[in-house]
Amino acid sequence: MKMKRFWILLKTELLAWRHDPITAMGGLIPALFILLAFAPLFGGRLSFKIAVINHDAGSYGAVLLRTFDQVLSPFGTPYYDVYAFEEEKAWERYHAHYLDGIWIIPEDFSAGIEAGKSPTIDMYFSNYNDDRAKNHRIYSTEIMWSFYETIGYPFPPLEVAEVYPLPVMIEWFPVIAVGVVLLSFMLGGMINMFMLTHKEHVSRITIEFGMAPRSLAWVLLPKLILALLMGLVTGTVLLGIVYLWTGSWPGHFIGGVLLLAGLVILFWAPPSLLIGMHARFFAGMIATILTGLTLFFTGGGLGLVRANWESVPLFSRLFPNVYAVDPMRDFILFSVMPPDWRRVLLILSGFAALSLLVCFPLAGRRLRRIG
Amino acid sequence: MKRFFMLLSSEVKLFRTAVPIHLVAILQPSAMYLLMTLILVNPTFDMNMEKPETSLEAELLEELMKVGSPIGLPYIRPVTVDWDGGAVVRQVVRVEDRSGIPTAVQYFGLIDSNLVKNYRNRLTAAALGLWNNQLGSRAVHIQQRPWLPRDVSYNVYFGMAMLTMATFLAASILGGFLTAQEYESRTIVEYRLSPASVGLILGARMVRLVLSSLLSAGVLLASIGIIAHVWSGGILRVALVLLPLSIIAGCLGMMAGLLLCRTIPAFLVGLVVTFVGWILGSSFGLAAGFGRTYECISRCMPFTHAVELLFPRYYGTTIGLPGVSALVLVCMSLGMLGITVLVYRFRILRQE
Repeated sequence: MKMKRFWILLKTELLAWRHDPITAMGGLIPALFILLAFAPLFGGRLSFKIAVINHDAGSYGAVLLRTFDQVLSPFGTPYYDVYAFEEEKAWERYHAHYLDGIWIIPEDFSAGIEAGKSPTIDMYFSNYNDDRAKNHRIYSTEIMWSFYETIGYPFPPLEVAEVYPLPVMIEWFPVIAVGVVLLSFMLGGMINMFMLTHKEHVSRITIEFGMAPRSLAWVLLPKLILALLMGLVTGTVLLGIVYLWTGSWPGHFIGGVLLLAGLVILFWAPPSLLIGMHARFFAGMIATILTGLTLFFTGGGLGLVRANWESVPLFSRLFPNVYAVDPMRDFILFSVMPPDWRRVLLILSGFAALSLLVCFPLAGRRLRRIG
Repeated sequence: MKRFFMLLSSEVKLFRTAVPIHLVAILQPSAMYLLMTLILVNPTFDMNMEKPETSLEAELLEELMKVGSPIGLPYIRPVTVDWDGGAVVRQVVRVEDRSGIPTAVQYFGLIDSNLVKNYRNRLTAAALGLWNNQLGSRAVHIQQRPWLPRDVSYNVYFGMAMLTMATFLAASILGGFLTAQEYESRTIVEYRLSPASVGLILGARMVRLVLSSLLSAGVLLASIGIIAHVWSGGILRVALVLLPLSIIAGCLGMMAGLLLCRTIPAFLVGLVVTFVGWILGSSFGLAAGFGRTYECISRCMPFTHAVELLFPRYYGTTIGLPGVSALVLVCMSLGMLGITVLVYRFRILRQE
């Protein structure tokens, strides 16, 4: 009998979806568009656009000019895209900020190298933000290192080398894409929970629920299960899109990804239900979804958390996303078990349990009052 | 005019029916900015290096400390560690003898290419410092000619770009909500029966949306001033730049409400368009600084044009083509107003 009641309620909730497909896909649509927006921003060619004005009377200026194309960044592209502008046009474009910088190689550059008289190059660059200014400064060292090697300067006192733990380096965009996938899982659960609550408010089913003689767990459980399932479905669809796009797929670790996502959804769905009931669904929905988006930006959506833990703000540490995002990347991008897997599961389970234990009784009480 | 002000007053009073929504729409961008400033890229990186035991290693450590901006922050904060060769979380530098050649080997953990790039460049900068010391007067000197006397914190640019997002978000989601709410509460019938002209009705709503969005931008403007200690010059000019953006967003929100008739989808449309437009619209840096595809898409976004027009207010110099940007914003806002009137006629008046 109890199971029958559960299935009836589950079917009722399922029917609610049929009338609002846009909202039902609410976890997929924003995340997909955000992913599409990030693709040209961080997935494109990130080389600096510069002009090199070569006044050199000798040959070293030309050698330096060739070096710009030869030195590749870990993105697999040169650090600089050198534009062959006339000097006047180069300055014009630089001042309009269509060029990131201009290098001026003086007439006596080769002579200075041959005579050992401190050859100098002028590097004009924009420092409107300190991060890009930093890149100008440290990229130039890569160019000079390669230039010294090319022109046969004496060997450096200390060579440089690096060891990366995987045969292929993980690119930045897939790292962001996994952050967006987690956002999709989370939004999918939250928006569907909101939608189901909203429909019940509009059709005044909440009154019937509130007056039900049975435990309200039978009302809340189907809603939670459906929100969880829809969150998992929307996130998995986005994961499929990420696979087609970047080739990153968790393979046999898919279960681990869904487990992580499920625990995150179980944290977010109950407050979505509760806030939806208290704040008349909409204000609560805006607040929670914007909090989710803010968490995406501040809680490891754009970069690896484990390697930057000290930069994670306290606010973000109060939510499970920041603990789930890197293990999810371990599964999807690196195809390895997270080194802190048990600890992560424990933390996420704690978050989910706390959320359920606090929000469900409060939601039940609220439902009774509405009734 | 009297009727317009009555309509406007009624629109403003709608605030009381949706206080939390207004508070979220107006304050959220500032809250997000305040949080983002905590995690925004900081040029100074902690860099692990095995404790130096030889003079060469000590020299490398010294060079690592020197890498930085002469008019800004250092780029490396060296952290000396005892490393047993075990798993690496982020990176660690160890000086090794490789075929008789002393080599600074950087061991990475599971990090992405962007972090690898940052660490690689920093180590190269330090090692080049050693090489330049050895070369003496043969070393090539790069004379840095930065555009500004001091490197400007990324917080300033990011905040300035977020002004466009704050403006757009408030107008689009409030416009969407207030309009869709008319359907849900069935007050839409009053518009159908109203003798007031379309211009008055939409004008009153638009004015209150513009005021709300400018209020949101104002709160963010103050936040940027407090956090980054940079205050925009000419508040009125900033408002003038943001005005067309708020009109575009308000029109978008109203159209979403009129076409979708439900608050949640209308909100989602406003949210998605705001964030996607903002990300594509020079949110993280000037459009020209990213790839060509990004730049092309970005120039179609009103956000980019607004950012380029706001730039002089924070940096004291114009960029791009201000006249063209202003024209684009005006044309876009007029176009959106026209489309909104058509949609209003189609959805409301046609069903009389």
